[in-house]
Order: sequence, then structure tokens, then C-alpha cells
Amino acid sequence: MRRFSELEMDALTEAFNLSLGEAAATFSAIVREEIELSVPTIEILSRDELTQRLESVQPSAAGDRLCRINQQFDAASGFQTDALLLFPEHGSLEIVRRMLGDDTPIQQITELEQDALAEIGNIIINSCMSSLANLFGTEMRGSLPRVQSRTARTLLDDKSDSDVILVARIGMTMAAHNLSGYVLFIMDVPSIESFMAQVGRLFRLPEQDDSLSP
Amino acid sequence: MDCCQLLPDCVDLGLILVGQDGRIRVWNRWIEERAGLSAEQAVGLTLAEAFGPHVDPRVALVVREALDFGWSARLSHALHPMPLPLFPPGGGRAERMKQSIDVTSLPVGGANQCLVQVRDVTETVRREALLKQQARQLRADLHRLTRAQAELQRSEMRFRELARQAPAGLFEADAQACCTFLNERCEQLLGQELVAVAGTPWINLLPFSEQTRVRKSWCQAVESATRFSEEFRFTRPDGSYLWMRAEAGPLRDESGRIGGFIGTMLDVTELHERATRNEFRANHDGLTSLLNRDRFERHLRAAISGAREVSDRLALLFIDLDDFKGINDNHGHNAGDTVLKAVAGRVRRVLRSEDLVARYGGDEFAVLISGAGDAQNLDAIIGKINQAVAMPINLGHCHVRVACSVGLAVFPDHGTDPATLLNHADKAMYCAKRTRCADSGSSAEPV
Repeated sequence: MRRFSELEMDALTEAFNLSLGEAAATFSAIVREEIELSVPTIEILSRDELTQRLESVQPSAAGDRLCRINQQFDAASGFQTDALLLFPEHGSLEIVRRMLGDDTPIQQITELEQDALAEIGNIIINSCMSSLANLFGTEMRGSLPRVQSRTARTLLDDKSDSDVILVARIGMTMAAHNLSGYVLFIMDVPSIESFMAQVGRLFRLPEQDDSLSP
Repeated sequence: MDCCQLLPDCVDLGLILVGQDGRIRVWNRWIEERAGLSAEQAVGLTLAEAFGPHVDPRVALVVREALDFGWSARLSHALHPMPLPLFPPGGGRAERMKQSIDVTSLPVGGANQCLVQVRDVTETVRREALLKQQARQLRADLHRLTRAQAELQRSEMRFRELARQAPAGLFEADAQACCTFLNERCEQLLGQELVAVAGTPWINLLPFSEQTRVRKSWCQAVESATRFSEEFRFTRPDGSYLWMRAEAGPLRDESGRIGGFIGTMLDVTELHERATRNEFRANHDGLTSLLNRDRFERHLRAAISGAREVSDRLALLFIDLDDFKGINDNHGHNAGDTVLKAVAGRVRRVLRSEDLVARYGGDEFAVLISGAGDAQNLDAIIGKINQAVAMPINLGHCHVRVACSVGLAVFPDHGTDPATLLNHADKAMYCAKRTRCADSGSSAEPV
């Protein structure tokens, strides 16, 4: 797969910045509370690189698991992606309970809380994807959200090691809580090529020279 | 009717299929029962027409998005508790059923249709509310327990520290008198650590002569569940001995039975010795350590009544120093005291240990001899006394000699009661003194 230029990565960041901004607005409207999403930092990593990264940020010794909310998307313009939203389980639980005005001392996330988390993830992912679809002028069909709690090591076990992962790191601030999470777009190689081509067209970037690829 | 048409009515969740035109295509039995509207009535209507105005606007929005953009969405119960006016089947319409809704976009023939799945989460909500209430209750209980435990720890620490610093020995023992706790002071007193004595009753540590009495007292305290209090002599493993006072109160177990005793052990050696000293002082002359007059007379009375029973003979001797005043006048009172002490020692030494010697007055001594022999025997004793007293006495700067006059009274020959005997001995002594003075003229003289 070819490496992406700095210009392309900037364009990508801008695209996510726009889409996540809309997601935050939608989310704020639902929870009737000011929510800020920080400007995302964008990287493209392999599955194993990301797992290592997550493990170093989230040591398994801490016992905290990661909560992943994912939705499959299929774009008419020719790429498929599995969009994942990741939060530390403890932090996401705190956000949900705060939102529901609940101070129950239960360690595990309950069924209804998991449902609420699915909806929150759904809003952020849908909002993000819809603005991308708007930008690209395409239609994107999405599945229902699915919530799972896993350790960093096993988080991406269901993905192929040849998949490429577009990682957008976002910070979510809500009242006194700071929650740092990731939005991941997992794509196969043809999908990411197609995705980047559309980003390139969107920002009118010069066509990439194939000789740059490794 | 084929299988696919029957399917929506067999599932335990609400299914509504909305076509691209926004009109209802499928309205399953589950929804019929909860919306109060039959499929016949609902099919062909829009959601707004079927449900009326009381629908959460977000439902309409996500249905629209599913139809227009192909997105799927979840409306959780937590954020949208009762988005559709659905009511429990067969129940009243007082409160909406608690719901969770999934909206999925279905591509059918180039256009999007929208499947709305409604789940009844009433039972889940009830269960989770219960769970949370229990969790809160548990947290409160745990909090209380933690506080109680902390308080217990504090009080335990307080007790431990008090026990450590206490000047008294503290002990706890079971009903068999085996120690289960000793503070440091108690270990010091016993000269042994708890581990060394834990297996055996502490009473076994006492000298054999004390054990029977103390054990009896302990058993009585256990049986009657009363205080135990005893004083006893205790010999430590290093050979040193103490007088100790142990006091303990019963400890009851949950069933009210006596499980053991808790109490104190005090070193009362000094008290004991002081009492012994005081008793000695009350009965003895401070200068010569001989019995005093009062004590002597009590002994005399007792000896007379004893001798009367066994027909024994008692001899009472009165000894008076000749011209003791002269020694005081010539050599000072210290010299007088030295002479008195020397005489006391000499008289004591010439008699048997069971004979009593007392300082009766200033320079008067009294002797009581039980099992007194005949006159000859008594004369021999008087002779020994005279001889012993007459030996020179070292005053440091010089020696003096002092003579004495001895008066004798014998029970029952000269009297059968103390007063008569004392009187007789007194007179005999004066008689002897007169005889001696007439013989020698002067008695106390420097050597």
C-alpha cells in the first residue's frame, strides 16, 4: 500500500474534524449538556501496531477493559469500513452513569447501560459517517451498533492482520469528565485506496505518483 | 399464507416495516397488542398517523435517515425511555411500556425500506433497578461495616496499648486456669512468656504449698461465677520470689457460660514485707529485737493455759541489770544501748530457741522457759545467764562489766496466773539484788 502524503493526512484530519464536530453537536442535543470533542489526530496503522499502541496506553495489569462500539458501513462509492469507537470501559461507564444521573456502585456495565452506550456510539459514528458521505457525495449504508468490552490485546482479534486501520484519536469532555477515546476505521487495502482517492478529490489534492509507494 | 408472512407474528418483539414512501407495510401482532391498533388499520398509514402526535421526534428522524441515507440507529431506553405510545398487553393504558428501539435500513429493489424493532425492556428495567438498589444497600452496609471495623481496630489498639503500658500484670485465662493472654508486665512478674505457660494452669506455677489453697479458691470462683481474689507467694524460674495478689472477674461466652477469667496480678511483696515489719515492730523491742512486754505477757498467758492442760512446768525469770544508770551516767546513752543489746544477745544465746526472751522495761529482761526442769536445772540456767551477762562488754573506747540480778517464779509452784507469777519473780529479783548489793557494794564497773 502506498504511503499517504502530509497533504493527504491534513485533508483527512480536516474531513474528520468537520464530521466529528457535527457528531458532538448531535450528541450535546440529546444529553442536553455541553460536549466538546477535541480536534482528532489521524494516523494509519496496521492491526498489530494499533494493538501494541493500545496495550501501552492501557496496560492490561490495570484490569480495565476497552469498550468498543462498532458499525459496518458500505459506501456506494466503493469502500467498506468497520467504524469503531473505543473508550476505556471505566470512563465510558462513568459518562453513561453521569448522563443517567446514577451513582450505583456496580463495577460491571448493565444491559441498559450497554444499550445507552450503543446509542451514544451510534450517534457519534452515524454523524461522523454522514458528514463524510456528504463530503464525498456518496451514500453510506450502516448496520446497527454493537457493544463489546474487551482487553486491548483481544480487541481486534476479529480483524484480519492485513487490514489497514485509519485511527482518529479524539478527546471527549463533558462537564467535569475528560474521556479520551479513539474512532477507528478498519478497511482493507482497496477500500482505503478508494477512500483516500475521494479525500484527495474533495480537497483537490494533486494526483499521487505511484513511485512514492514502498 | 406463506411462512414469511407468518414470521413477524411469531417473534417476541415488535416489528414495523416502513416503505420508502414512509407508509407502514408490516405491523406485527406484538405491536397490535401493545398499540391497540390492528394491522389492518395500521398498514398504509404513516407512523405519525398510526401513533398520533405522541411519538418521540427522534424516532421519526432516524426512520427518515434510514429511508433517505441507509443508516441504522439504536434508541436506548436510558436516553429515550418510552418513545412510542405502546402499553402493556391486557393492562391499562396508564403508563407506556418501557422500550428500546432498533431502526435498520433495508435495501429493497433499489430503494430503502426501514425496519423498526421494538423490545419491551420493562422487566430489564425492573431487574436493574433492583440490582442497583441492592448495590446501594450493599455499599451502605459495607460503609457501616468498614466504620465499625475501624472503630473496633481503634478500640483494640487502645486496649493493646493500655495493656502494654499498664503497671499491673493483666491476664486472661480459661475456666481451667490456662492463660490465653498476658501483658508484658504479667510476663515480667511470672518471669515467663505466654507461650511457655499457655498449656498449663497458671496455678501449677505456684509453690506446691500454695497450690491447693489457690486452686480451691479458683474452682469456687468458676462454680459460683464470682470474683477470684487470692494472695500467694510465687517463685520465679530464676529463684527470686514475690508475693502476688491475683484478682479476676468471670468472662461469659455467648451462651452465658463462664468461659474464663480476666484480671490483674500485682506484685505485693513490698506491702507484705512492710506488714511483716510492722507486725514485728508491734511485738518487739526496737533496740534489742526481743519481744516487748506486751507480747511477752500474752505469750505468758497462753503458755500458762497450755501448761495447765498438759501439767507442764514453766519458769519465769526476771533479770535486772545492776547499776545500769551508772553506765548511762558515765559513758552516755549510746553506751547504755550497747550494753542492753549485748545483754539481750547473751541471754538469748544461753537459752533454747523455744524459750522466750523479752525486754520488759528499761534495763529489765524477762525469760519464759517451758518444760522447765527441777530447781537444780533452773539454778544452772540462772548461773549461765549471770555468767554470760558478767562478761566484759566492748564500748569501743573501753570495756565495762555489768552484773545482773535474777528473780525466779515457777508455774505452778509459785503461782498459777500471770500476775502472781510476775509479782513473785519481781520480788525474787529484788531480793537477789539486795543480797548482791550487800555482798559487793558496787556492781557496774569499768574493766
